[in-house]
Parts: sequence; structure tokens; C-alpha cells
Amino acid sequence: MEVNIIQIPDKPHAIILKFSGEMDSDQIGMINDTFSQINSNINYVIVSVKSVQMISSSVIGELMGYRKQMIERGGDLVIAGIDFSIRTKLNLIGLTKIFRIFSDPRSALNAYRWEIERHAEKIHVSFPSHLKIVPPVRQLISRIAKQKGYGNRDSFRLETIVDEICNNAVEHGMSGNELSIELNMEIDPEKVELDVTNTSDPEKMASLKALLKPKNDNEIKLDERRGRGLALIKMLTDELSVDCSGTGTSVHIKKVREE
Amino acid sequence: MESQIELIYEDIKGKHNVKLVQFVDDLDATNVETVSEKICNLLNEGYINIVADFKKLRYVNSTGLGTLLHFSKTAKEKNGSFKIANINENVYEIIEIIGATSLLEIYDELEEAIKALD
Repeated sequence: MEVNIIQIPDKPHAIILKFSGEMDSDQIGMINDTFSQINSNINYVIVSVKSVQMISSSVIGELMGYRKQMIERGGDLVIAGIDFSIRTKLNLIGLTKIFRIFSDPRSALNAYRWEIERHAEKIHVSFPSHLKIVPPVRQLISRIAKQKGYGNRDSFRLETIVDEICNNAVEHGMSGNELSIELNMEIDPEKVELDVTNTSDPEKMASLKALLKPKNDNEIKLDERRGRGLALIKMLTDELSVDCSGTGTSVHIKKVREE
Repeated sequence: MESQIELIYEDIKGKHNVKLVQFVDDLDATNVETVSEKICNLLNEGYINIVADFKKLRYVNSTGLGTLLHFSKTAKEKNGSFKIANINENVYEIIEIIGATSLLEIYDELEEAIKALD
């Protein structure tokens, strides 16, 4: 058995241990030596086993002990580089319940950035100012939120917020294939922030400002078919600001994760 | 291109001026005009009572909700009604946030909505 200790640039608390060969009980001493070399400020260990032919149950037991140590430091010990066919076998023996398994070290590092460092992911979408483009954009944002572990309710609410903001951006801005709407999203495990900017249409500024004027509940009438979008965005978000001062109108929202 | 929505129509035995309409998928700004035209045609053809089954309606935005309110108003003007049943939790929440639950006739079950026509 061989092991390489790989430091990760800009990640002083994470490390990759790349094992190769056979991890049997005879190698436990070497495994312990490896872990003893790890700095005490490390709290996330990625055990890469792509070149490992076998892992004995006694080694799994040792790794479980080190995992406990990392969890106590606020991190984790995860396994990376296991082929899908082997993963299904590991699942059968219950190993996937003990360790988090990733297909490669990069995926394990992404999980570290998201879960331990609480690192925000940034997404930029630029799309033509047409109503028909809004549904795929809102569904994309909702899917990203779900993929990041947000629940159905939060993802649905986010879909609604994006839909309403983008529909307003199309309706109150210049339209056409050559003009785009810019959507910037920053998502972390606690919140989502969105900025949507269109190209302002001077002829529609009066209607936009009327829309932004505060309304009381009595002003929403049964026979009105439109004009509820902004009220809905206000109710679904924790922060909302609109800036009409530039060549485009920018809407910024913050939504705190609820579930 | 419009968002996908399908309207499936059914008659209700013994009720000549009632149409059961299943809404399937998403009701939003891209298809609201098409849906509006279809439902208004039904109302104008004499089906003044519409029972909307929302069991398979995944999504409604504020524009879609505005249209539902319009259907309700138009049906009432014709001495009929626009009743909604089987609404999913997410869609109900949007209607609730807008404050329109008291403006629409909403029932938990389809049978309840149909029974309320008697």
C-alpha cells in the first residue's frame, strides 16, 4: 500500500489522502502514521481510493475512528474515487451509511466548500427579453436550489420570485433578441440573493413607477387581472430593492432559507 | 413558446350547465391568454358552472391567479360559479399570500365542489 498526502491550495483545513494498493489489516500502522502527520487544524479528510484494490473491515474501523475525530473538529472524513459498480456493493453492506461517498475528490471538495466553508455559489444567466424564455429560467433556478439541498417549498417560492421579477423585467423593459436580461444569483446554505437587470424603456417608466408606488390591500380588486406580482415578491422575500436610476432597472432580493 | 398546460374537459352526469376542467402543469404569463380564451368560451357556451380540478396543476403565478379571479367574476355575473378543488399546497400558498382565498371558491375534494353545485 502507498499513500500520498495532497495539500489543497487555499484550503488549509482540508486534505486529500490518496491511497493505492491493498488496505488490509497489515497496513493499519501505516495508516495511523499518515493520520499522525496531519496537522491538528485539518477537519476535512478526503480518502481517495481510486487505486485501491481492497479495503479490509479493520481498516474501515480505523477510518471510522478518524471520521469521529474530524466530526469533533467540525468537519468530516469522506471517501472519494469509488466506481459506481463498487458503490452499489458498498451500499449493500451499509458502508454508505457510515461514510459519505463521492465519485471523485473534486466532488468531495465541492461538498466541503458548500457544507463546511458555507461557501456561496454564483450563477449568471443572460437571456433575451422575451416572456417565453422566463419559464425555463425560473425552472433552472428552482432546480439549482433543489440540487443544493433546498426543500420543495423554498425551491417553489424561489421559482415564483424569479418568475415574477423576470416577467416584470420583460414587461417594463425594452424587448428584443438583441437586448438581454441579466440574472445573477448567489446561493449558500442559508440564503439566496438575486439581482435581475433589464434595459429600461423610457416610455414604460411611468407605468413602472406606478407599480412601485405602495398600495394598500383595498386597492387590489377582484376585477384586476394584473398588478399582484410585486406584492407577491414582497411577501416571499426578506429584502427587496428596486433601482431605476441607471440605463436599466435592477431588482435585488434576498430570501432566507426556511426549511 | 408557451409553458406547457393541458385542459381536460369532462361532463358531470345530470348537470347540463356544468363542466369539469382538469388543469395540468403550469399556468403562467405565457399561456394565460390561451387558457382564458378556452374557459371564457365555455362560460359563453352556457357552461356557467366550472369545476376546476387542480390536482395536476403544478404552478400558478400572479398573472395566472389574476385570470382565475377573472373566471370567478365572469361566472358570477352569469349566475354561475368557478369552483376549485384538489389544489396543491404550494399553489394554495401563493393564492393565500395574495389574499385571494376568500375571493375564490376553494374545496379540498372534487366531490365537495360538485356537491356544492346542488
